[in-house]
Amino acid sequence: MRELTGYKHVDGRPGIRKHVVVLSLNSFCNTATELISQAVRGTLPLVHPHGRNEIGVHRERLERSLEGVVLHPNVYAVLVVGYEPKSTKEFVETVKKITAKSVESVLVLAGGTWDAVRTGVDKALEMVLAASEVCREPIELKDLIFGVKCGGSDATSGVASNAAVGEAVDRIIEAGGTAIFSETTEILGAEHILARRAVNEEVAKKIYRAVQENERFAMAAGVDLLGVNPVPDNIRGGISTIEEKSLGAILKAGNSRIEDVLGYGERPPHSGLYFMDSPSAATEVMTGLSAAGAQMILFSTGTGNPVGNPISPVLKITSNPRTVARMKEHIDVDISDVLTGSTSLREGGDRILQAIISVANSRLTKAEIVGHMEFAPIPVGL
Amino acid sequence: MTPSSPEPKKWLWLHREDNVAVALSDFTKGAVVQIDGSEIILRDPVDYGHKFAVKDVRAGEPIIKYAETIGVAARDILAGEHVHVHNLKSLRARRQ
Repeated sequence: MRELTGYKHVDGRPGIRKHVVVLSLNSFCNTATELISQAVRGTLPLVHPHGRNEIGVHRERLERSLEGVVLHPNVYAVLVVGYEPKSTKEFVETVKKITAKSVESVLVLAGGTWDAVRTGVDKALEMVLAASEVCREPIELKDLIFGVKCGGSDATSGVASNAAVGEAVDRIIEAGGTAIFSETTEILGAEHILARRAVNEEVAKKIYRAVQENERFAMAAGVDLLGVNPVPDNIRGGISTIEEKSLGAILKAGNSRIEDVLGYGERPPHSGLYFMDSPSAATEVMTGLSAAGAQMILFSTGTGNPVGNPISPVLKITSNPRTVARMKEHIDVDISDVLTGSTSLREGGDRILQAIISVANSRLTKAEIVGHMEFAPIPVGL
Repeated sequence: MTPSSPEPKKWLWLHREDNVAVALSDFTKGAVVQIDGSEIILRDPVDYGHKFAVKDVRAGEPIIKYAETIGVAARDILAGEHVHVHNLKSLRARRQ
Protein backbone atom coordinates (compact mmCIF):
# COMPACT_ATOMS: atom_id res chain seq x y z
CA MET A 1 0.00 0.00 0.00
CA ARG A 2 1.16 3.56 -0.75
CA GLU A 3 2.35 5.66 2.16
CA LEU A 4 -0.28 7.64 4.06
CA THR A 5 0.51 11.11 5.33
CA GLY A 6 -1.17 13.52 7.67
CA TYR A 7 -0.65 16.27 10.21
CA LYS A 8 0.43 15.11 13.65
CA HIS A 9 -1.25 16.93 16.45
CA VAL A 10 -0.55 18.06 19.96
CA ASP A 11 -3.33 15.73 20.98
CA GLY A 12 -4.06 12.24 19.76
CA ARG A 13 -5.03 11.34 16.23
CA PRO A 14 -3.45 12.97 13.20
CA GLY A 15 -5.51 15.00 10.74
CA ILE A 16 -5.65 14.82 6.96
CA ARG A 17 -6.45 18.53 6.70
CA LYS A 18 -5.26 21.47 8.84
CA HIS A 19 -8.22 23.81 8.96
CA VAL A 20 -8.19 27.06 10.89
CA VAL A 21 -11.85 27.36 11.88
CA VAL A 22 -13.73 30.51 12.86
CA LEU A 23 -16.60 29.03 14.87
CA SER A 24 -19.79 30.89 15.66
CA LEU A 25 -21.37 29.84 18.97
CA ASN A 26 -24.58 31.69 18.35
CA SER A 27 -26.62 32.95 15.40
CA PHE A 28 -25.90 36.56 16.50
CA CYS A 29 -22.20 35.84 15.95
CA ASN A 30 -22.54 34.59 12.39
CA THR A 31 -21.90 38.00 10.82
CA ALA A 32 -18.69 38.58 12.78
CA THR A 33 -17.63 35.01 11.95
CA GLU A 34 -18.17 35.55 8.21
CA LEU A 35 -16.43 38.96 8.26
CA ILE A 36 -13.35 37.57 10.02
CA SER A 37 -13.16 34.70 7.58
CA GLN A 38 -13.54 36.99 4.56
CA ALA A 39 -10.67 39.14 5.83
CA VAL A 40 -8.29 36.31 6.66
CA ARG A 41 -7.64 33.92 3.79
CA GLY A 42 -7.13 30.32 4.83
CA THR A 43 -9.82 30.32 7.50
CA LEU A 44 -13.00 28.26 7.43
CA PRO A 45 -16.15 29.96 8.80
CA LEU A 46 -18.73 27.77 10.55
CA VAL A 47 -22.12 29.34 11.15
CA HIS A 48 -25.55 28.00 12.18
CA PRO A 49 -28.91 29.32 13.40
CA HIS A 50 -28.64 28.01 17.00
CA GLY A 51 -26.99 28.74 20.33
CA ARG A 52 -29.77 30.27 22.40
CA ASN A 53 -32.38 28.59 24.63
CA GLU A 54 -31.87 25.00 23.42
CA ILE A 55 -32.74 22.40 26.03
CA GLY A 56 -32.40 18.66 26.59
CA VAL A 57 -31.32 16.53 23.67
CA HIS A 58 -31.06 19.58 21.39
CA ARG A 59 -28.66 21.28 23.80
CA GLU A 60 -26.58 18.08 24.08
CA ARG A 61 -26.38 17.58 20.32
CA LEU A 62 -25.41 21.22 19.72
CA GLU A 63 -22.63 20.99 22.32
CA ARG A 64 -21.36 17.69 20.90
CA SER A 65 -21.35 19.09 17.37
CA LEU A 66 -19.56 22.34 18.25
CA GLU A 67 -17.07 20.68 20.62
CA GLY A 68 -16.56 18.06 17.92
CA VAL A 69 -15.42 20.78 15.51
CA VAL A 70 -12.83 22.09 17.97
CA LEU A 71 -11.53 18.64 18.91
CA HIS A 72 -11.48 17.34 15.32
CA PRO A 73 -8.11 16.02 14.07
CA ASN A 74 -8.57 17.88 10.75
CA VAL A 75 -8.75 21.17 12.66
CA TYR A 76 -5.46 22.87 13.52
CA ALA A 77 -6.73 25.88 15.47
CA VAL A 78 -10.05 27.51 16.32
CA LEU A 79 -11.16 31.07 16.83
CA VAL A 80 -14.42 30.94 18.77
CA VAL A 81 -16.83 33.83 18.17
CA GLY A 82 -19.10 33.95 21.21
CA TYR A 83 -21.89 36.30 22.16
CA GLU A 84 -21.65 36.93 25.89
CA PRO A 85 -18.79 36.13 28.29
CA LYS A 86 -20.31 33.39 30.49
CA SER A 87 -21.35 30.78 27.88
CA THR A 88 -18.31 31.56 25.72
CA LYS A 89 -15.92 31.07 28.64
CA GLU A 90 -17.66 27.82 29.60
CA PHE A 91 -17.34 26.48 26.07
CA VAL A 92 -13.66 27.39 25.74
CA GLU A 93 -12.83 25.98 29.19
CA THR A 94 -14.61 22.71 28.42
CA VAL A 95 -12.70 22.10 25.20
CA LYS A 96 -9.38 23.27 26.65
CA LYS A 97 -9.65 20.49 29.24
CA ILE A 98 -9.60 17.99 26.35
CA THR A 99 -7.35 19.61 23.75
CA ALA A 100 -3.99 21.36 23.85
CA LYS A 101 -4.48 22.91 20.41
CA SER A 102 -4.76 26.65 19.93
CA VAL A 103 -8.30 27.82 20.85
CA GLU A 104 -9.01 31.52 21.28
CA SER A 105 -12.17 33.56 21.52
CA VAL A 106 -13.68 36.95 20.81
CA LEU A 107 -16.97 38.36 22.13
CA VAL A 108 -19.64 40.21 20.20
CA LEU A 109 -21.38 41.60 23.29
CA ALA A 110 -18.13 43.24 24.50
CA GLY A 111 -17.82 45.99 21.86
CA GLY A 112 -20.12 44.96 19.04
CA THR A 113 -19.65 43.00 15.83
CA TRP A 114 -16.92 45.21 14.36
CA ASP A 115 -14.89 45.20 17.55
CA ALA A 116 -15.07 41.38 17.62
CA VAL A 117 -13.92 41.40 13.98
CA ARG A 118 -11.01 43.81 14.68
CA THR A 119 -9.76 41.61 17.53
CA GLY A 120 -10.59 38.41 15.67
CA VAL A 121 -8.67 39.11 12.46
CA ASP A 122 -5.38 39.55 14.37
CA LYS A 123 -5.86 36.25 16.21
CA ALA A 124 -6.95 34.41 13.06
CA LEU A 125 -3.93 35.72 11.14
CA GLU A 126 -1.54 34.27 13.72
CA MET A 127 -3.36 30.93 13.56
CA VAL A 128 -3.17 30.77 9.76
CA LEU A 129 0.53 31.64 9.89
CA ALA A 130 1.23 28.88 12.40
CA ALA A 131 -0.86 26.35 10.45
CA SER A 132 0.97 27.18 7.22
CA GLU A 133 4.20 25.87 8.70
CA VAL A 134 2.86 22.45 9.68
CA CYS A 135 4.12 19.72 7.34
CA ARG A 136 2.82 16.27 6.49
CA GLU A 137 4.33 13.23 8.17
CA PRO A 138 3.76 9.50 7.67
CA ILE A 139 0.65 8.18 9.42
CA GLU A 140 -1.10 4.80 9.39
CA LEU A 141 -4.54 3.61 8.39
CA LYS A 142 -5.17 2.67 12.02
CA ASP A 143 -4.90 6.37 12.92
CA LEU A 144 -8.00 7.16 10.89
CA ILE A 145 -11.70 7.10 11.70
CA PHE A 146 -14.04 6.78 8.71
CA GLY A 147 -17.68 7.81 8.66
CA VAL A 148 -19.76 5.61 6.34
CA LYS A 149 -22.95 6.90 4.77
CA CYS A 150 -25.23 6.12 1.84
CA GLY A 151 -27.58 8.57 0.18
CA GLY A 152 -29.58 8.88 -3.00
CA SER A 153 -29.76 5.08 -3.03
CA ASP A 154 -31.13 3.13 -5.99
CA ALA A 155 -31.03 -0.47 -7.24
CA THR A 156 -27.29 -0.16 -7.95
CA SER A 157 -26.44 0.86 -4.35
CA GLY A 158 -27.54 -2.38 -2.71
CA VAL A 159 -25.83 -4.69 -5.19
CA ALA A 160 -22.60 -2.87 -5.98
CA SER A 161 -21.49 0.44 -4.44
CA ASN A 162 -22.55 -0.29 -0.84
CA ALA A 163 -20.95 -3.73 -1.10
CA ALA A 164 -17.68 -2.30 -2.48
CA VAL A 165 -17.62 0.34 0.28
CA GLY A 166 -18.20 -2.55 2.72
CA GLU A 167 -15.13 -4.30 1.25
CA ALA A 168 -13.03 -1.18 1.87
CA VAL A 169 -14.43 -0.86 5.41
CA ASP A 170 -13.55 -4.50 6.17
CA ARG A 171 -9.96 -3.84 5.14
CA ILE A 172 -9.78 -0.62 7.18
CA ILE A 173 -10.92 -2.56 10.24
CA GLU A 174 -8.46 -5.40 9.51
CA ALA A 175 -5.67 -2.81 9.41
CA GLY A 176 -6.65 -1.67 12.92
CA GLY A 177 -8.65 1.35 11.76
CA THR A 178 -12.06 2.60 12.85
CA ALA A 179 -15.33 3.11 11.00
CA ILE A 180 -18.72 4.44 12.07
CA PHE A 181 -21.95 3.84 10.17
CA SER A 182 -25.25 5.37 11.13
CA GLU A 183 -28.83 6.10 10.00
CA THR A 184 -31.08 4.24 12.42
CA THR A 185 -34.07 4.21 10.03
CA GLU A 186 -31.85 2.47 7.46
CA ILE A 187 -31.17 -0.57 9.65
CA LEU A 188 -34.85 -1.11 10.39
CA GLY A 189 -35.64 -4.68 9.35
CA ALA A 190 -31.99 -5.75 9.41
CA GLU A 191 -31.25 -5.03 13.07
CA HIS A 192 -31.30 -8.78 13.89
CA ILE A 193 -28.42 -9.27 11.45
CA LEU A 194 -26.40 -6.43 12.96
CA ALA A 195 -27.23 -7.69 16.46
CA ARG A 196 -25.70 -11.08 15.56
CA ARG A 197 -22.48 -9.23 14.77
CA ALA A 198 -22.43 -7.32 18.06
CA VAL A 199 -19.39 -7.87 20.25
CA ASN A 200 -21.63 -8.96 23.15
CA GLU A 201 -25.23 -9.30 24.29
CA GLU A 202 -25.32 -5.81 25.76
CA VAL A 203 -24.34 -4.19 22.44
CA ALA A 204 -26.89 -6.39 20.62
CA LYS A 205 -29.56 -5.04 22.99
CA LYS A 206 -28.44 -1.45 22.30
CA ILE A 207 -28.89 -2.04 18.55
CA TYR A 208 -32.47 -3.31 19.08
CA ARG A 209 -33.18 -0.45 21.49
CA ALA A 210 -32.00 2.20 19.01
CA VAL A 211 -34.42 0.87 16.39
CA GLN A 212 -37.31 0.57 18.88
CA GLU A 213 -36.81 4.16 20.04
CA ASN A 214 -36.74 5.31 16.44
CA GLU A 215 -40.00 3.49 15.70
CA ARG A 216 -41.60 4.87 18.85
CA PHE A 217 -40.60 8.41 17.85
CA ALA A 218 -42.19 7.89 14.44
CA MET A 219 -45.33 6.30 15.95
CA ALA A 220 -45.75 9.33 18.24
CA ALA A 221 -45.85 11.45 15.07
CA GLY A 222 -48.41 9.07 13.58
CA VAL A 223 -46.04 7.21 11.23
CA ASP A 224 -45.64 3.42 11.24
CA LEU A 225 -42.16 2.88 9.79
CA LEU A 226 -42.53 -0.89 9.43
CA GLY A 227 -45.95 -0.43 7.88
CA VAL A 228 -44.97 1.97 5.10
CA ASN A 229 -41.55 0.65 4.11
CA PRO A 230 -40.39 0.02 1.41
CA VAL A 231 -41.96 3.12 -0.16
CA PRO A 232 -43.57 3.00 -3.64
CA ASP A 233 -40.46 4.16 -5.54
CA ASN A 234 -38.39 1.45 -3.79
CA ILE A 235 -40.96 -1.12 -4.90
CA ARG A 236 -40.91 0.21 -8.46
CA GLY A 237 -37.11 -0.15 -8.38
CA GLY A 238 -37.43 -3.82 -7.42
CA ILE A 239 -37.14 -3.76 -3.62
CA SER A 240 -39.83 -6.04 -2.17
CA THR A 241 -39.45 -6.01 1.62
CA ILE A 242 -38.07 -3.86 4.45
CA GLU A 243 -35.50 -6.61 5.16
CA GLU A 244 -34.22 -6.42 1.59
CA LYS A 245 -34.00 -2.62 1.68
CA SER A 246 -32.06 -2.48 4.94
CA LEU A 247 -29.80 -5.40 3.97
CA GLY A 248 -28.71 -3.37 0.94
CA ALA A 249 -28.03 -0.33 3.15
CA ILE A 250 -26.01 -2.14 5.83
CA LEU A 251 -23.69 -3.69 3.24
CA LYS A 252 -21.75 -0.41 3.32
CA ALA A 253 -20.54 -1.28 6.83
CA GLY A 254 -18.91 -4.55 5.70
CA ASN A 255 -18.86 -7.67 7.83
CA SER A 256 -16.79 -6.77 10.87
CA ARG A 257 -17.82 -7.19 14.49
CA ILE A 258 -19.78 -4.24 15.91
CA GLU A 259 -17.98 -2.83 18.95
CA ASP A 260 -20.69 -0.55 20.32
CA VAL A 261 -23.58 1.81 19.65
CA LEU A 262 -22.51 5.46 19.87
CA GLY A 263 -24.75 8.42 20.60
CA TYR A 264 -24.93 11.36 18.16
CA GLY A 265 -21.43 12.80 17.73
CA GLU A 266 -19.94 10.49 20.37
CA ARG A 267 -16.28 9.61 19.84
CA PRO A 268 -15.43 5.89 19.58
CA PRO A 269 -13.38 4.72 22.60
CA HIS A 270 -11.09 2.41 20.59
CA SER A 271 -10.65 1.02 17.07
CA GLY A 272 -13.15 -1.17 15.20
CA LEU A 273 -16.61 -0.81 13.66
CA TYR A 274 -19.33 1.22 15.42
CA PHE A 275 -22.96 2.08 14.83
CA MET A 276 -24.00 5.66 15.63
CA ASP A 277 -27.66 6.12 16.60
CA SER A 278 -28.69 9.17 14.60
CA PRO A 279 -31.33 10.74 12.37
CA SER A 280 -30.66 9.80 8.77
CA ALA A 281 -30.60 13.04 6.71
CA ALA A 282 -27.19 13.40 5.05
CA THR A 283 -26.12 16.79 6.43
CA GLU A 284 -27.17 15.88 9.98
CA VAL A 285 -25.56 12.42 9.93
CA MET A 286 -22.31 13.74 8.52
CA THR A 287 -22.15 16.58 11.07
CA GLY A 288 -22.47 13.85 13.73
CA LEU A 289 -19.90 11.55 12.10
CA SER A 290 -17.48 14.47 11.88
CA ALA A 291 -18.16 15.41 15.51
CA ALA A 292 -17.28 11.82 16.42
CA GLY A 293 -13.84 12.50 14.92
CA ALA A 294 -14.16 10.94 11.45
CA GLN A 295 -11.28 12.35 9.38
CA MET A 296 -13.02 11.22 6.17
CA ILE A 297 -16.52 10.16 5.18
CA LEU A 298 -17.18 7.43 2.59
CA PHE A 299 -20.45 8.19 0.81
CA SER A 300 -22.06 5.56 -1.39
CA THR A 301 -24.66 6.91 -3.78
CA GLY A 302 -26.93 5.64 -6.52
CA THR A 303 -28.68 8.64 -8.06
CA GLY A 304 -26.05 11.07 -6.74
CA ASN A 305 -26.05 13.69 -3.99
CA PRO A 306 -23.97 16.89 -3.80
CA VAL A 307 -23.72 17.10 0.02
CA GLY A 308 -20.36 17.68 1.74
CA ASN A 309 -18.95 18.50 5.17
CA PRO A 310 -16.77 21.47 6.14
CA ILE A 311 -14.30 19.48 8.28
CA SER A 312 -14.27 15.89 6.99
CA PRO A 313 -13.68 15.36 3.25
CA VAL A 314 -16.59 13.37 1.78
CA LEU A 315 -15.60 10.76 -0.81
CA LYS A 316 -18.51 10.03 -3.19
CA ILE A 317 -18.67 6.55 -4.65
CA THR A 318 -21.18 5.31 -7.19
CA SER A 319 -21.73 2.23 -9.31
CA ASN A 320 -24.44 3.85 -11.42
CA PRO A 321 -22.92 4.77 -14.83
CA ARG A 322 -25.67 7.31 -15.52
CA THR A 323 -24.86 9.15 -12.29
CA VAL A 324 -21.16 9.20 -13.22
CA ALA A 325 -22.07 10.96 -16.47
CA ARG A 326 -24.79 13.23 -15.05
CA MET A 327 -23.17 14.30 -11.75
CA LYS A 328 -19.49 14.65 -12.76
CA GLU A 329 -18.68 17.39 -10.29
CA HIS A 330 -20.01 15.30 -7.39
CA ILE A 331 -18.57 11.83 -7.98
CA ASP A 332 -15.03 10.92 -6.84
CA VAL A 333 -14.93 7.17 -7.44
CA ASP A 334 -16.58 5.43 -10.37
CA ILE A 335 -17.10 1.71 -9.78
CA SER A 336 -19.81 1.17 -12.39
CA ASP A 337 -17.74 -1.70 -13.79
CA VAL A 338 -18.39 -3.56 -10.51
CA LEU A 339 -22.12 -3.39 -11.24
CA THR A 340 -21.73 -4.86 -14.70
CA GLY A 341 -19.46 -7.58 -13.36
CA SER A 342 -16.36 -6.71 -15.40
CA THR A 343 -14.59 -5.85 -12.12
CA SER A 344 -14.82 -7.84 -8.90
CA LEU A 345 -16.13 -6.45 -5.64
CA ARG A 346 -12.64 -6.86 -4.21
CA GLU A 347 -11.13 -4.75 -7.00
CA GLY A 348 -13.87 -2.18 -6.40
CA GLY A 349 -12.88 -2.11 -2.73
CA ASP A 350 -9.24 -1.66 -3.82
CA ARG A 351 -10.13 1.32 -5.98
CA ILE A 352 -11.95 2.93 -3.03
CA LEU A 353 -8.93 2.31 -0.77
CA GLN A 354 -6.61 3.90 -3.33
CA ALA A 355 -8.89 6.95 -3.50
CA ILE A 356 -8.94 7.09 0.32
CA ILE A 357 -5.14 7.19 0.40
CA SER A 358 -5.03 9.91 -2.27
CA VAL A 359 -7.57 12.06 -0.44
CA ALA A 360 -5.85 11.53 2.91
CA ASN A 361 -2.58 12.56 1.23
CA SER A 362 -4.11 15.88 0.00
CA ARG A 363 -6.07 15.16 -3.19
CA LEU A 364 -9.27 17.20 -2.90
CA THR A 365 -12.72 15.62 -3.03
CA LYS A 366 -15.23 17.03 -5.52
CA ALA A 367 -17.35 18.30 -2.61
CA GLU A 368 -14.33 20.25 -1.29
CA ILE A 369 -13.73 21.80 -4.73
CA VAL A 370 -17.38 22.60 -5.47
CA GLY A 371 -17.61 24.08 -1.97
CA HIS A 372 -20.19 21.87 -0.31
CA MET A 373 -19.81 22.51 3.43
CA GLU A 374 -23.20 21.60 4.86
CA PHE A 375 -23.29 21.83 8.64
CA ALA A 376 -26.31 21.02 10.86
CA PRO A 377 -25.30 20.81 14.52
CA ILE A 378 -28.79 19.97 15.83
CA PRO A 379 -30.29 17.08 13.91
CA VAL A 380 -34.06 16.83 14.19
CA GLY A 381 -36.42 14.34 12.62
CA LEU A 382 -35.66 10.74 11.77
CA MET B 1 -8.54 0.71 -14.88
CA THR B 2 -9.02 -1.88 -17.61
CA PRO B 3 -12.05 -4.09 -17.20
CA SER B 4 -11.03 -7.75 -16.96
CA SER B 5 -13.98 -8.97 -19.05
CA PRO B 6 -15.46 -7.10 -22.05
CA GLU B 7 -18.98 -8.53 -21.70
CA PRO B 8 -21.03 -6.73 -19.02
CA LYS B 9 -23.29 -8.94 -16.93
CA LYS B 10 -27.02 -8.68 -17.48
CA TRP B 11 -27.88 -10.05 -14.05
CA LEU B 12 -26.25 -10.52 -10.66
CA TRP B 13 -26.37 -13.68 -8.56
CA LEU B 14 -24.86 -12.25 -5.40
CA HIS B 15 -24.21 -15.35 -3.28
CA ARG B 16 -24.25 -19.11 -3.89
CA GLU B 17 -26.90 -19.48 -1.17
CA ASP B 18 -29.22 -16.97 -2.88
CA ASN B 19 -32.33 -18.41 -4.51
CA VAL B 20 -32.93 -15.14 -6.41
CA ALA B 21 -30.78 -13.11 -8.82
CA VAL B 22 -31.05 -9.41 -9.73
CA ALA B 23 -31.70 -8.28 -13.31
CA LEU B 24 -29.28 -5.66 -14.66
CA SER B 25 -31.31 -5.13 -17.82
CA ASP B 26 -34.97 -5.25 -18.77
CA PHE B 27 -35.78 -8.90 -19.59
CA THR B 28 -38.76 -10.06 -21.60
CA LYS B 29 -40.63 -13.26 -20.82
CA GLY B 30 -38.82 -16.23 -22.36
CA ALA B 31 -35.33 -14.74 -22.07
CA VAL B 32 -32.68 -17.29 -21.17
CA VAL B 33 -30.02 -16.75 -18.50
CA GLN B 34 -27.15 -19.05 -17.46
CA ILE B 35 -26.67 -19.38 -13.73
CA ASP B 36 -24.25 -21.84 -12.12
CA GLY B 37 -24.07 -23.92 -15.27
CA SER B 38 -27.81 -24.31 -15.75
CA GLU B 39 -30.17 -22.49 -18.08
CA ILE B 40 -33.09 -20.59 -16.62
CA ILE B 41 -35.96 -19.48 -18.86
CA LEU B 42 -37.66 -16.39 -17.48
CA ARG B 43 -41.36 -17.04 -16.97
CA ASP B 44 -42.21 -13.33 -16.54
CA PRO B 45 -40.84 -10.02 -17.79
CA VAL B 46 -38.22 -8.87 -15.23
CA ASP B 47 -37.20 -5.19 -15.12
CA TYR B 48 -33.80 -3.72 -14.21
CA GLY B 49 -33.19 -4.02 -10.46
CA HIS B 50 -35.93 -6.62 -10.00
CA LYS B 51 -35.43 -10.23 -8.88
CA PHE B 52 -36.12 -13.62 -10.43
CA ALA B 53 -35.98 -17.08 -8.84
CA VAL B 54 -32.93 -19.16 -9.77
CA LYS B 55 -34.48 -22.33 -8.32
CA ASP B 56 -37.91 -23.58 -7.31
CA VAL B 57 -39.08 -22.31 -3.91
CA ARG B 58 -42.06 -23.81 -2.03
CA ALA B 59 -44.65 -21.64 -0.28
CA GLY B 60 -43.39 -20.61 3.18
CA GLU B 61 -39.73 -21.18 2.38
CA PRO B 62 -37.29 -18.28 2.79
CA ILE B 63 -36.27 -16.07 -0.13
CA ILE B 64 -32.51 -15.58 0.16
CA LYS B 65 -30.61 -12.54 -1.19
CA TYR B 66 -27.29 -11.20 0.18
CA ALA B 67 -27.07 -14.70 1.75
CA GLU B 68 -29.81 -13.52 4.15
CA THR B 69 -33.55 -14.05 4.44
CA ILE B 70 -35.44 -11.13 2.88
CA GLY B 71 -38.87 -12.72 3.45
CA VAL B 72 -40.78 -15.91 2.63
CA ALA B 73 -42.47 -17.20 -0.51
CA ALA B 74 -46.20 -16.39 -0.31
CA ARG B 75 -46.87 -19.26 -2.73
CA ASP B 76 -44.87 -21.83 -4.70
CA ILE B 77 -42.39 -20.05 -6.97
CA LEU B 78 -40.76 -21.71 -9.99
CA ALA B 79 -37.24 -20.97 -11.24
CA GLY B 80 -37.45 -18.07 -13.70
CA GLU B 81 -40.44 -16.37 -12.06
CA HIS B 82 -40.37 -12.69 -11.14
CA VAL B 83 -40.03 -12.48 -7.34
CA HIS B 84 -41.56 -9.34 -5.86
CA VAL B 85 -44.38 -8.08 -3.61
CA HIS B 86 -46.94 -10.41 -5.30
CA ASN B 87 -45.22 -13.63 -4.18
CA LEU B 88 -42.73 -12.55 -1.51
CA LYS B 89 -43.86 -11.62 2.00
CA SER B 90 -41.87 -9.67 4.59
CA LEU B 91 -41.40 -11.27 7.99
CA ARG B 92 -41.11 -7.84 9.57
CA ALA B 93 -43.67 -5.51 7.98
CA ARG B 94 -46.78 -4.79 10.03
CA ARG B 95 -48.97 -4.24 6.99
CA GLN B 96 -48.63 -6.07 3.70
